[in-house]
Amino acid sequence: MKELVNFFHEIGKLKSKPRRGWVINDIKNPESIAEHTFRAAIMAWVLSNRRKNFNIEKVLKIALIHDICEIYAGDTTPYDSILPRNKKKRAELMKTWPRFSNYEKKKLAKEKYKREKRALEKLISKLPLNLKKEIKKLWLDYEMGLTAEGRFFRQMDRLEDFLQSMEYWKKYKKPPQGPWWLWAREHFDDPVLLEVIREMDNKFHKHKKPRI
Amino acid sequence: MFLKNMAETKKFYLTKKGLEEFKKEYEALKGLRIAKTKGEVPKIWESEDLNPEYLSFQEDLNFLETRIAELENIFKSACLIRHPSKKELNIVNLGATVRVKVGEEKDEFTIVGTLEAKPSLGKISNESPVGRALLGHKIGEEVVVSSPIKAIYKIKKIKYN
Repeated sequence: MKELVNFFHEIGKLKSKPRRGWVINDIKNPESIAEHTFRAAIMAWVLSNRRKNFNIEKVLKIALIHDICEIYAGDTTPYDSILPRNKKKRAELMKTWPRFSNYEKKKLAKEKYKREKRALEKLISKLPLNLKKEIKKLWLDYEMGLTAEGRFFRQMDRLEDFLQSMEYWKKYKKPPQGPWWLWAREHFDDPVLLEVIREMDNKFHKHKKPRI
Repeated sequence: MFLKNMAETKKFYLTKKGLEEFKKEYEALKGLRIAKTKGEVPKIWESEDLNPEYLSFQEDLNFLETRIAELENIFKSACLIRHPSKKELNIVNLGATVRVKVGEEKDEFTIVGTLEAKPSLGKISNESPVGRALLGHKIGEEVVVSSPIKAIYKIKKIKYN
């Protein structure tokens, strides 16, 4: 029981860890990683409800654990490796979607994966064996898209980010929406999630269209 | 909003390399399943080619069975992406690696089926809006992807492996 309490205490730290994507965009009072997880889980549940042969319990568990490694690994963004210290230059960079060579893409993805895997293993190392195995396999499913549920939640996770970006844009006029749309149209392919994106566009861009 | 029933029973387009990797994984997992019942570790698990994460299956029989069933489902609905004829080499089709210019930025995508899509590694799905828009276009053509913002993808090079 002592190890479980330690684990609960550790994951509680996600409630006060701000998401880095909003921090580098100078968003006031940015949401925490736990807040992102909360809505991503609800969205995943609701949007996977109409699928056949879909294990909703698994999707929800994947949603709950997908970012717990960030307690030790920290949150990352695609901008991290090229982020200027100067605030003005940083704001300029946020207007673009960072593009890398395929070599760089692989290198960055590999580094991120290794860092997060190490962090997850540290976090769950003292848990009972069955729980440890379950968390590791759910995380691998999410990271590697091993099942339909893992593949679905990988996109679902990003959909929550996208929705949050639109909400901040409406409230604070940032982050710039152009890069988000460039990214989204290359990343999403799930028909249901694409339909949700069209609705989000209707809701948030009805009166003011975003620009590149 | 209209949500359709989305069973994953559709066709899975796979590159030759992708299909080979899935088959290799399948054989390894089946080997592991047999070995587990005998209490052995099969030799294939010592191979460096094999993704070390598959070792996680070693610990958990349920996980192993789920993945084997998933792979069998994939093979049932798999559709191999064929290499294009000489005439079609200058047209973007499934399996093509496309070098593009988006505004002032350069990028390179390989258009794959949803199972192999890993946008962060430059593999984009043929069902994504950009993947879908690029299909059927030739070198030098400009592909406009709009709603709500307009972006122009100029095709600089098309390559098939």
